[in-house]
Amino acid sequence: MNNPFREDLVSRNLAEACSVVIFGATGDLTHRKLIPALYNLAIDGELPAGVRILGFARRDWSNEFFREGLETLNRQVSRTGHDEEIWESLAANIEYHKSEFQDKGGYKRLSDRLDEIDRERGGKGNRLFYIASAPEYFDDILLNLKEAGLSQERPDCDGCWSRVIVEKPFGTTLGTAQHLNEVVNGTFEEKETYRIDHYLGKETAQNIMVLRFANAIFEPMWNKEHIDHIQITCAEHLGMEGGRGGYYDEAGALRDMVQNHLLQLLSLVAMEPPTDLTADGVRDEKVKVIRSLRQWDTPELVAENVVRGQYVAGNINGKEVPGYRDEDRVKSDSETEAYVALRCMVDTWRWSGVPFYVRVGKRLPKKATEISVHFKETPSVLFNAMPGGVPTGNVLVIRIQPDEGISLMMNSKLPGTTLRMEPVKMDFHYASSFGKSSPEAYERLLLDAMAGDATLFARRDEVEEAWRFIDKIHKAWTDNSEELPIAQFPAGSWGPWEADELLAKDGRTWRRL
Amino acid sequence: MSMLNSSENLGIPVEVGAIDGELKKLWEADEASTNASLMNFLVYTEDPSRLQENSQTIQELTRENACRAVLIAMNRKAIDVKVESWITAHCHLAHGKKSICSEQVSFLLHGKSLGRLRNTVFAHLNSDLPLVFWWQGEFSELFEERLYRLLDRLIFDSSDWADPKRGVRRLLKARSDTKGGMVTQDLSWTRSYYYRLAVARLFDDPMAHKAFPEIEKVRVKAQSKHRIAALLMLAWVVTRSGWSVQYQETGRVILESREGREVVVELIWDDEGAPISELEMSAPNFKARISREAGNSHLCQSIRAESHSVDFSGPADYDDSAGLVASQLSRGGKNSLFLNVLPQFMELLEGGR
Repeated sequence: MNNPFREDLVSRNLAEACSVVIFGATGDLTHRKLIPALYNLAIDGELPAGVRILGFARRDWSNEFFREGLETLNRQVSRTGHDEEIWESLAANIEYHKSEFQDKGGYKRLSDRLDEIDRERGGKGNRLFYIASAPEYFDDILLNLKEAGLSQERPDCDGCWSRVIVEKPFGTTLGTAQHLNEVVNGTFEEKETYRIDHYLGKETAQNIMVLRFANAIFEPMWNKEHIDHIQITCAEHLGMEGGRGGYYDEAGALRDMVQNHLLQLLSLVAMEPPTDLTADGVRDEKVKVIRSLRQWDTPELVAENVVRGQYVAGNINGKEVPGYRDEDRVKSDSETEAYVALRCMVDTWRWSGVPFYVRVGKRLPKKATEISVHFKETPSVLFNAMPGGVPTGNVLVIRIQPDEGISLMMNSKLPGTTLRMEPVKMDFHYASSFGKSSPEAYERLLLDAMAGDATLFARRDEVEEAWRFIDKIHKAWTDNSEELPIAQFPAGSWGPWEADELLAKDGRTWRRL
Repeated sequence: MSMLNSSENLGIPVEVGAIDGELKKLWEADEASTNASLMNFLVYTEDPSRLQENSQTIQELTRENACRAVLIAMNRKAIDVKVESWITAHCHLAHGKKSICSEQVSFLLHGKSLGRLRNTVFAHLNSDLPLVFWWQGEFSELFEERLYRLLDRLIFDSSDWADPKRGVRRLLKARSDTKGGMVTQDLSWTRSYYYRLAVARLFDDPMAHKAFPEIEKVRVKAQSKHRIAALLMLAWVVTRSGWSVQYQETGRVILESREGREVVVELIWDDEGAPISELEMSAPNFKARISREAGNSHLCQSIRAESHSVDFSGPADYDDSAGLVASQLSRGGKNSLFLNVLPQFMELLEGGR
């Protein structure tokens, strides 16, 4: 029998009580994102009763020390402030589990403790393992979970589940991603595997499907007949502060951002309507887009369609900032790109001939992630003969962050006796229209994982197809570094002129943000 | 002379015919603010003394719900027919940066004049935006088809009704006239939202789930002025549980489960406590309890069973109307669950005193 009180009460999948085990619990992600997300779920009354949180890490911390540290950060970063009573209620269910990631005994103790918690809770032994550690420990953690019997379905526990959430980076190449997928799928079933891409948890990313498929005016025009091109920009004004240079210099913009976040956004914009809103219904359509990306697999094609860049010293917000190679923990002769711009072609019936221009970079003038859909211009038979002509085609902009919202540029007649036109903007801001703050991406994603809804998580084939596309570009750069040099641009500018040239040769320009 | 002691919250007095022009001037004079609107939000009362209070409520509501607010107070006892009107804007800093403003037009209508309420409403809406209408107090004869046919959402508070049965009947007629197109939201129903979530959450617990068929006692404690909210919540429990009413007397309802087992409901009115201060469901060796202290913003939730004990805190519902309306607006939806429990609620009304 189902819980009769649940029926009709909420319109989403039900998050089930479980033990959440966080590997890498002493890290920044746990303190700044995961625990505040769980806390905010508790504040909103969304966290299931009986959720227990176990932080698994190497440092010699006590339960009290662990909780105090979490509380301190929660006070600073929680989007809803800090309520003592709710925190106490949550903190009573948080504990620390000290162990090396390679120590099999640590997993055995974890298993015993989880069994004990299940008995105390008097119910199903659901477990959610969140791997938030450094990527070099992913294999160890997964294999030890398997060996300790923590990843399999238990015959003694009907309906119980064990799920795993894996943080990015999900591999660094197609080969490493495939290896990791083998390890993950050798440990957990694919349906219990949740590869997190926090961009998909953002309100506006989820709104892309609503915008496209719940508004009759857009979908009939969402194709090559009406759309000239699409731009996706992810600009960051920060550089390598906070010690991130070490990781970033190994990864670079292409692998750190394009392989996951930007290709996910591209697939949401370009996908066909799914047959239903189930996880696989949506992901089947997304993966088709990634699979349809034209491959840039020769140095010539890469030179023609991809630009990589590094910033040199410049000025942002009135402050002098160093060049990439002078950043903390970055090699002085680094060949890693801190900027990348590429032209993607989605070879489907719908998108044939429509370029998707994608750019991402550090030390750009401002922080902004946006998708802009540039519609074709009107036929030049009426207004083009007028002075000034038609200023521009219509542009629909979906702002992912910050200042989430949607705007539409259209042309309007200037007041006066002559027929002159100017672009005007219709603008919808989430913050103005809905004063209520949106849940953080991690809140939504954690709740979805507890509910068994994988729609907003990347599937194995999506990840591997994305790596297949990215790897070829990266290989061309590595094998042909002289023919495909890194372009330079001053920090605080909108990237190298080669990136402008990428669009200029198609008769287009980057949208000014 | 105005019925109001002071109209300072209402803004600048304007002639009705000049409202649009004056609003335009208001925005032209302030380039630093953005006029935002997600809906037309209309508040209607037949108690003119509430106009000021309603303006303050709008000030709060617009923090999270940008709207064109239209406040209408009707003084139907006045002999002379006349209209007073004011305009103002409520501005808030969004995320500490931009000033987001919602405009408000207020009317005090004196005397009786055919179709004036309807006309005042329709003449001052932002076109195309949804119309949310908060009707305060009893549905009078002015709650008529030509008016409610154009509403997208009707908010009311059945705790204000002297005759809830009559109110529900009028509501159901309006629903029928609009062929279900108008979403109805009762603030008395909203008052138990987090209680209902908490019940569902408690019975997710496997031990509670197992004990559910054995439930033999239900206790509801609430303030007497929130009797309707308590009965609506009880109606939901009864409907969801598949129980049926066998017998009712003051403060006590005897139910029968599908399996023929007796379930006794005890209703306690406690004016010192929170609007709804307790819901307890018990079986032999099992108790699920949700409770709230007066003034506390949390619900304490607990399960006690043999060798099994769960305690946690969760959010509680707002006590004030502005908070209840804001939480309704933030949830949206068709609110069909409320309509589903109305038949049971009507039955419980017989014996819920």
